[in-house]
Amino acid sequence: MTNIDDPWPDGDDASRMLKELPDVDPPSTIVGTVMSTIANRARGQATPQTVFVLRGRTMARRMLWIVAAAAAVALAALRLPGYPPVDKGTEATIGAAQRYQAAPISSADVKAQDGELQAFLHSDVFRQLAADQVAQQALKNKDFQRALADASVRAALASPDVRAAIVDSARNANADARIGAAAGVRADAARNARLDAVLQSSAALRAALAAPGVAQAIASASLGAALARPDMALALSHDAAVNAVLGASGAALDAAVAPNPAANAAKHAAPNAH
Amino acid sequence: MDDADDAKAVARCLEGEGDAYEAIVVRYQRGLFNVALRMLGNYEDARDATQTAFVKAYEHLDSFDSGQRFFNWLYRILKNECLNVLRARRPESSVSLDLPAGRGADPVEVRERQQAIQTALLNLSMEYREVVVLRHFTELSYDEIASTLGIPPAKVKSRLYTARQQLGDLLVDWRVTR
Repeated sequence: MTNIDDPWPDGDDASRMLKELPDVDPPSTIVGTVMSTIANRARGQATPQTVFVLRGRTMARRMLWIVAAAAAVALAALRLPGYPPVDKGTEATIGAAQRYQAAPISSADVKAQDGELQAFLHSDVFRQLAADQVAQQALKNKDFQRALADASVRAALASPDVRAAIVDSARNANADARIGAAAGVRADAARNARLDAVLQSSAALRAALAAPGVAQAIASASLGAALARPDMALALSHDAAVNAVLGASGAALDAAVAPNPAANAAKHAAPNAH
Repeated sequence: MDDADDAKAVARCLEGEGDAYEAIVVRYQRGLFNVALRMLGNYEDARDATQTAFVKAYEHLDSFDSGQRFFNWLYRILKNECLNVLRARRPESSVSLDLPAGRGADPVEVRERQQAIQTALLNLSMEYREVVVLRHFTELSYDEIASTLGIPPAKVKSRLYTARQQLGDLLVDWRVTR
């Protein structure tokens, strides 16, 4: 029996096996990370009571709380029903308009784009889009709308060839679900310098095309017609215009646009234009 | 660098010379990292726990009792960090044991044996695991381990005895007749 006063005699099995575990060199970053954290604290760049070092990065407890609080506020704003508040006289339209939950824009934003928006709301393109559920699939995608805010993206998408390449690639990608639409689009882009350039320049467009249905929706006739016209494409990059399209569809659109299409469409856009 | 040097470095830090702390980090990083590695069984977790322990120690240098060994104090901070990591792990989460392998004839077999040993170590309770780690992966004597853990030397020996028995049982299939 082993003597309890000498629990690690030479030749002991467990002892021998433990010696097989090597002494591991510490990561070369430890000294630098620790000293830089301390130096930052000394300079007052970070004044944490406690500093966490996660995956080689430092984060102050205070910063963690700030980030968490900001995220909570943002989530609450997005989830809060009935926000933003609705002006009197537009209550009847809020239900339809709120289906699109894009970030609300300010009244200043709407004023600055008033001419474009009014022209858009008066156009046939607007009516076609409002009646085209396939096109709306793309417009509901926030990444796609962000991509449209880029003039170079709008210019590229104005080209029927580019849109056709997107659609063809998406079809090919659908044949192999493991690749995904975005990967398929990128593969095609190698054969199409223009598409390649716009995909390279716009992370938002890449993200939008990775979403199911967006690439196919770009092929819709009404969206194609809108994208082919620079003024219409520009209008689509604004929340108010998209809200108007998504809020004015089907029978409601027919009833609403009969006497005065522009006024009714503008009413749909109004709830988010605070 | 010895314990007296530690005390001098701590004193300089407390006087506002933060750079003096680097000597302490350099001195203890290997020992502390290897302790954390064997306590946690994961390279990244061990690195993070070690770094956090050093930073926390610096931030609380004014509470360090210069009458005790700096390593003992540092170890207790590291142990708390390791416990935090272990508590944060979900029970079903797997631990990456992809640790650097030692030299051996068959790298695959060596790695498998090392993983089995590390897994057995992780299956010990903390009070047994820490005496094994301090005895085997640092150069501390029984008395120094006792001082570090704040328990009598006899208790260290009894825990080592029990830990060794448990490890032997856990590794029975990996014993090699010599």
